[in-house]
Amino acid sequence: MSLLKNPRVMILILVIIFCLGLIFINGGHEDDGFLPGTNIKLGLDFEGGTLLQVELSEEVSTDQINRIANIISQRIDARYDATITPIGNKFIAIQLSETSASEIEKIESRIRQQGQFEAAINGQTIFTGDQIIKILRGDTSFGVYQLGGTYEWRLPFVLNEKATESFKEKTFHQCSAVSFTTTGQPIYNCERTIFFLDKPESIVIISEDQYNLDRDYLFLGDRRLSIPAQTDIDELIEDSQVDVIIYNEDINLEQINSISEEKEINNIIISNDLTSDLNTLLFANGYNVEISNDSTPVIWNVLGGRQIIALTEGITNENVGSLEEATSFSTLYITGQRTSFEEAEEDLEELAILLESGSLPTPVKSISRETISASLGESFKGLVLIMGIVAFIIVGIIIALRYKNIQLIIPIFVIGASEVLINLGFIALWGRPLDLAAFAGLIAAIGTGIDSEIVITDEIMRKGKQVKESAIGRAKAALFIIMTSAFTIISVMFPIIAFSRAYPGIEKLYGFAIVAIVGALIGVFVTRPAFTAIIQKIAGKLK
Amino acid sequence: MGIDITGGNLIILRSDQELTNEGIANALSDFELPELSISTIASPTGYGAWIQYSKNPLIAGAEELVNSAQENLENEEESISLSNQAIALLGGEEKEFENSKIALTASEEALAIYKEEFYQGIQDNLVAELGLGNNVEFQQREISPTLGSASFAGILQISIIGFILLTLVVFVAFRQLVPSVAIIQAMIFDVIFGLAGMSLLNIPLSLTTLPALLLLVGYSVDTDIMLTSRLLKEKGGTAGERATTSMKTGLTMTLTTLAALFSMLVISYFYQIEVMYYISAILLFGLIGDLISTWLFNAPILLWFVERDKK
Repeated sequence: MSLLKNPRVMILILVIIFCLGLIFINGGHEDDGFLPGTNIKLGLDFEGGTLLQVELSEEVSTDQINRIANIISQRIDARYDATITPIGNKFIAIQLSETSASEIEKIESRIRQQGQFEAAINGQTIFTGDQIIKILRGDTSFGVYQLGGTYEWRLPFVLNEKATESFKEKTFHQCSAVSFTTTGQPIYNCERTIFFLDKPESIVIISEDQYNLDRDYLFLGDRRLSIPAQTDIDELIEDSQVDVIIYNEDINLEQINSISEEKEINNIIISNDLTSDLNTLLFANGYNVEISNDSTPVIWNVLGGRQIIALTEGITNENVGSLEEATSFSTLYITGQRTSFEEAEEDLEELAILLESGSLPTPVKSISRETISASLGESFKGLVLIMGIVAFIIVGIIIALRYKNIQLIIPIFVIGASEVLINLGFIALWGRPLDLAAFAGLIAAIGTGIDSEIVITDEIMRKGKQVKESAIGRAKAALFIIMTSAFTIISVMFPIIAFSRAYPGIEKLYGFAIVAIVGALIGVFVTRPAFTAIIQKIAGKLK
Repeated sequence: MGIDITGGNLIILRSDQELTNEGIANALSDFELPELSISTIASPTGYGAWIQYSKNPLIAGAEELVNSAQENLENEEESISLSNQAIALLGGEEKEFENSKIALTASEEALAIYKEEFYQGIQDNLVAELGLGNNVEFQQREISPTLGSASFAGILQISIIGFILLTLVVFVAFRQLVPSVAIIQAMIFDVIFGLAGMSLLNIPLSLTTLPALLLLVGYSVDTDIMLTSRLLKEKGGTAGERATTSMKTGLTMTLTTLAALFSMLVISYFYQIEVMYYISAILLFGLIGDLISTWLFNAPILLWFVERDKK
């Protein structure tokens, strides 16, 4: 019992309890990519997925690569669950849950090709991305300004001549006075414009149930998706100019055929709650059918809705009677208000990126990729576990043959197992998905752990027999070996961490290096001091 | 060198169905895949195949044309002509385009569709002709040569800095030239042994093998540090006695690691877990080298050094 009062052993026990909590309290579900019942997230190697490495045609500034990464994230559908990381000044890594070759190819072409931005009102396009000459990022009016207790952001941009005329025409008198201020100034209610990115060139069929769900959702609004309250679903559909059919048990093939003929469209997107019979029927009639996996509001996501911006009376020429007298505005400002500077800045950047989405500032040179099928990842899970257990048993046999003393064997194992546990606790706390490389880091940490325990055991037992050296002296000698060994691991792993964001591919080794370093530190500061105390105690008894 | 560094394509397949070189070559015969190399394995747990090839020349050519069209976007006529050439190469019809941007979009789209069909075709053909069913287990990698060379630059830099830091740690720990140099030489010897193992087993130098080599350095240095520390810093017994007891500890350390690695090597080979197979094979070879470098090279050097100091 006196061993339990030893501060080093107590620290170890407390750390183990803490790590058990980290791993198991509120454990995640397998479907969400967690190791069942734990907080350990599994990475691409175990869950299946694809890693794309985009190479730009030239090196760009750090600001610019972050912007390109943001543009790419705008262009990849949310359903692919993409994680996008800039690497150095020329590469961008994209991790996706998708594994189908054709879907990956679609995503690749989305990244390579120019995005199609469109602003619409009353079922008509006001201007498109290629009509925006530039966003005035360097202009003094671009940015966030404090306005009393709130923060206003302003985004100026310039339209080309054609778009300027189109804007004047389509927004003319789109505000109406709804009341007056006390000084007699009219208060206007203005129409809203809807911004789309990469609208589908397809007919969209959505179930009536989904339509109703989406209608209510849009009416309530969702700040996260930039949907203001009281958004009207029919206005959204009208502005998109996409043919949307609401399906209620029966389908009018003639209607679809005539739209298809008139608009030369052969693609149909259907909401995923519709029956496979409909899919088969459309397929049999020669249509390419894509089932949308988007979540509510499906219609917003499918149509590529991105923002809704209200017009202001200053630009709708309310002060003149006819279009001929109206003023053309080639420089437009989009403004908004938020309560914090950060939120305002975020809104501004998001919108600027949306308007710039027409083109990546620097073209893509090549895209490399790596895909692991979900079924392969699944079988890796079991295999890695088997591998760990087999290795543990074999190591156990050798340790048993070498020491032939259960009092020594048990602590080596208990401490070995506790190192695994503490490392897993760290991985759970870290939150980064565990991949095969990180698993290799874990093996490295456990391997050096067992090695160090052998050194400590031999050092203390040997000296216990031979030399009249103080207990502190014996432990010190072992500690020197262990510290030096841990620092060698840290020194070879450190450059990986330092350069993981500088070169493509190296980021795959980031998890490996972090786990190996943390494992070495845990060993030096937590488990091995406790192990030394335990072995010293046992050595005392054995003498 | 592996495709991570040289660029190229790799497909790793696993299946319950028998996979043969001929079967796979037949399934891929419709696709023009340069430098195609196939190797298969059979194990009690199933079958596996590694298929490696370079980029299809038609796709490579079209990609080059599209990239040139993009670079020459300002030069309308040139860019439209390049886009049209790409479209024609991919089997489409040349068209009159309004401007270079529209032509570029059309050529990009044609390329995307061609690649989509090509890669899906490879996958579908393998699944259909080899009877792999729906639940096919595969891993696929396509690395561009420029990405590979950028990764290689990273690997080099990491290795050089890692080596410098490691040397510093060893020198700071022992503060004596001969023992420190002895440790470093043992480590270099281990890495050379690991590289020899890679060449023997045809394991390419890649992003997966880099961690193995780094781990090898970390592991192999352990026994050297232990030996050096005991010979130089301890007082009891003769240097020879201390070396013998160190050897007992060191051999236990290396043998436990070797045994664990051997089990990992067998499992990962039969189940084709590429990363684990590479790591365990390189470590296994490197640590066998470590037995030689530590106990046949390093120990005699240190014994000589300690004895010389006494005199």
